[in-house]
Amino acid sequence: MENRNASGSVVNQFLSDYGMLAVLLVLGALFATLTIKEQHPTGASAGRQVAQMIAQRQGENTQVLIVARDTREDRAFARAAAKELQALGIRVLAVVNGVPNDVRAAIEKITAGRQQIDAIVANDVTAKWSVYDRFPSVGSDKCVKPRPYIWPDFLKMSNLLGVANQTAIYAIIAIGMTMVIVSAGIDLSVGSLVALASVVSALCIRDWGGGADAGITMVVLGCAAGIAVCAAAGTFNGLMITVFGIPPFIVSLSMMMIASGLAFRLSDGRSISELPPSFLWLGGSQTLGVPNPVWLMLVLYSVAHIVMSRMVFGRYVYAIGGNKEAARLSGVPVKRMLMAVYTICGALAGLGGIVLSSQLAAGDPKFGLMYELEVIAAVVVGGASLMGGRGKVFGTLIGAFIIAVIKNGMNLTNVDPFNQRIVLGAVLLAAVLLDMLRRRR
Amino acid sequence: MHGEILAEKISEVNMSHSFCHMLLILTIFVAGCSKTASPGGDSQGKDQAAETRGVVGYSALTLANPFFKVIADNMQSALAEQGYDMILVSGERDVKKQADQIDDFIVKGVSAIVLNPCDSQSIGPAIKRANEAGIPVFTNDLRYIGSDGKVVTHIATDNEQGGRLAGQAMVAELGESGGKVAILHFPQAESCQLRVMGFREIIDAHNAKADSDKIEIVAELDGGGVRDEGFAAAKDAIEANPDLAAIFAINDPSALGARAALEGVGKADQVTIIGFDGQQIGKEAIRDGKILCDPVQFPDRIGRMTVEIIIKHFSGDKVEPIILIPSELYYKVDALQDPSLKG
Repeated sequence: MENRNASGSVVNQFLSDYGMLAVLLVLGALFATLTIKEQHPTGASAGRQVAQMIAQRQGENTQVLIVARDTREDRAFARAAAKELQALGIRVLAVVNGVPNDVRAAIEKITAGRQQIDAIVANDVTAKWSVYDRFPSVGSDKCVKPRPYIWPDFLKMSNLLGVANQTAIYAIIAIGMTMVIVSAGIDLSVGSLVALASVVSALCIRDWGGGADAGITMVVLGCAAGIAVCAAAGTFNGLMITVFGIPPFIVSLSMMMIASGLAFRLSDGRSISELPPSFLWLGGSQTLGVPNPVWLMLVLYSVAHIVMSRMVFGRYVYAIGGNKEAARLSGVPVKRMLMAVYTICGALAGLGGIVLSSQLAAGDPKFGLMYELEVIAAVVVGGASLMGGRGKVFGTLIGAFIIAVIKNGMNLTNVDPFNQRIVLGAVLLAAVLLDMLRRRR
Repeated sequence: MHGEILAEKISEVNMSHSFCHMLLILTIFVAGCSKTASPGGDSQGKDQAAETRGVVGYSALTLANPFFKVIADNMQSALAEQGYDMILVSGERDVKKQADQIDDFIVKGVSAIVLNPCDSQSIGPAIKRANEAGIPVFTNDLRYIGSDGKVVTHIATDNEQGGRLAGQAMVAELGESGGKVAILHFPQAESCQLRVMGFREIIDAHNAKADSDKIEIVAELDGGGVRDEGFAAAKDAIEANPDLAAIFAINDPSALGARAALEGVGKADQVTIIGFDGQQIGKEAIRDGKILCDPVQFPDRIGRMTVEIIIKHFSGDKVEPIILIPSELYYKVDALQDPSLKG
C-alpha cells in the first residue's frame, strides 16, 4: 500500500514537472494525423522505378524525354532514370534539368528533328508543368511519374529539423529568461538586445574586421563584442534592480527602448550585410545532419539544467524567487545573484542575436521585434511561475517546442493567419491558468 | 473525423484533470481552425488534392494593410481559375517569421512561392533554400535586392512613372503661378525614393523652361509614411514656409496627416495636397476635396499579373525579370464615379 502511494507520488511529481511533454507529444500526434497526405518521391530510386514502369507498359521501342528540376535530388532522379532506361534498351531523347522554359526548348528541338516522344519521365512537380500541353504531339498525359506514398508532412525529417531550427533562437534566449522568471523577475529587453547584438557584431566585422573578407578571428571577436555589449546591458539591468530597487518590469522596459534606439543609431536604421561566409556557419550550416543552432541549443540546455538543478547557483536562484527576504536571511548573496542572473539573460539574448544574424546573413536593428513576448510565452507554457521560485529549464525547452509545433502545424494545415494569433493567445492563457490551478492545490 | 484518434490519445495517458482540460482546449482550437481554413476542405479532401495543378504559397508583408489583402484576394481568385490552390500567410514585417514560413512552404512542396520581402536583403538565405528545393520564387510590390537568392520575376507599380504623374499634376495645378512645394518623404523605402525621383524630374523640367512661375521645392521631410509623423512634418514645413503652396506626400496616410496639420493652422485652403497610393482612405479624401489627386496603384492588377506570370513560367515561356504596372491619376471626378466609394 505504502509502496503504491510512493510510486503514485513519483508519477504525480513527474507529471507536474514534465506533464507538458505529454502535451507536446499529443500535439505532435495531432498534427501528424492532420497532415497525412500523398508524398511524391524523387531521387535515384524514384528514377529507377519510373524507368521500369515505362519499360513494362510500353516495351522496348519507346523514345523517352526525362524532365527534372535543377536540384540535387532531381538530378539524381534524372541520372538514375537515364541509366536504368539505357540498361533496359529504351532510347532517351534528352534529359532536362531546369525550368519549364528549358523543357520547351528541348521539345522544340526534338520535334524539329522529326522525332516522336512516346513518354516523359517526370516527378510530381515537373509532371504538373503546363508546358507539355502547348505541343499537340506531346501533352501532359504522356508523363509517367513515381508512385506516391502516404506520410504526414509534419513528420518529414526536414520539417522536424526545421521546427527545431526555428525554435532554437527563442529557446536559447528563454534559458536566461527562465532564470530571471524563477528569481521572480522579468526582462523585457531581450528582443531589443537581439537587435543590438546583431548590429554591434555586424558593425565590428564590417568596420574593423574587413567586411566580407574578414578572417575567422575577427568574426569571433565581433560576435564576442556583440554578446559582451548585451551582457553589460544585462548587468546594468541587474544593478538598477538591486541597488536602487526599481521594479524589473520598469528597468527592462527602459532598456528595451535604449537598446533598440542604440541599435538603430549605430546602424543608421539600415541592415548590414557585408559579412564573410564564416559568419554564416553558426546559423546556416549543419553538423552531422542537424542544424548548428540546434546543437548549440541542446548544449546550452544541458549546461543550464545542471547549473539550475545540481549546483548552488541554481538553488540560490530558486530560493530568491521563493522568498527573497528568507533567502537573504539565510545567507544567500541576493544582490550578487540577481546581477548574475540578469547578466546571463542579457548575454544569452546577445547570443540569440548572433545566431539570428548568422541565419539571416545580416545585422539589422529591426531584428528581434517582440521576441521578449515569444520568449516569456515559452517560459510560461513550459511551467515556470511568473510569481517566481518555480520552473524547470527543460520545461522551458518543451514550452518553446509546444509553441513552435503549434505554429508549424497551423502553417502546415493552412490555418488562417489571424486565427493563428487567437490560438497562440489561447495557448498562453491556458498555460497560465494551469499554473494557477496547480498553485491552488 | 480526428476526434476518435484524439480521444484514444487522451485516454491512453492517465493525467490529472487540468491537463485534460488544457489538452482539450488546445486540440479543439487547433483542429477546429485548421478545418475551417483549409481550402474547400470537405468530404472529398483527397480527390480534390489530386485534381489541382498545384499549390502556390504567398507570404504577404502584412495583412493589416488592405493593399496586400487586395493582392492576396486577386491572386487567390486568378489561381483558382487556373486550377491552383493558394496558401496565404503573413510575415508581419518580421523577416525571421517570413523565413520560417518559406521553410514551411518548402516542406509542403508548393509549386511556387510569392512574397513581399519583409527585408529587402535578409530574406536572401530563405529564397536560396527555396531555389535549392527547385521552387520558383516571385516577388511583388517590394523587391529583393540581395544576390544569394534568385527571384524569377518581380511585379510592382511603376513608382517612378507614378512620381512623374504626381509631378505633372503639380505642374498643372501650380504651373501658372509657381510656388513653394514641400515633399513628405519616406526615404527608407526604395519605392518612395523612386516616386520622389520621378516627381523631381518633372518639376525640374518645368523649371528649366519657366521664368517667373518656377515651382520651388523648399523642403523634403521624413513623413514616415504614417499619419502622425506626416502631421508633425507638415506642421514644421508650414511653420518654416508660411507661404507654402503645395505638398507632395508619398502615400495616403502621410498626406492625410499633412491635411490635419494644415486644418489645425487654418491653411487647408492655401495648400494643395497631392498624395500617392489610392487606398480607400485616400480615395475618400479625394472625393471630399481634402486631397487634390493621387497617382493610384492597382493591387488587383499586381495580384492578377503575378498569377499570369506564374502560369507563363510553368507553360515554358521566358518571363521578364521585372514587370512594372503603370499608375494612373485619380481626381475628384474619378472618385465621384467610383463604385467602391458608394454607400
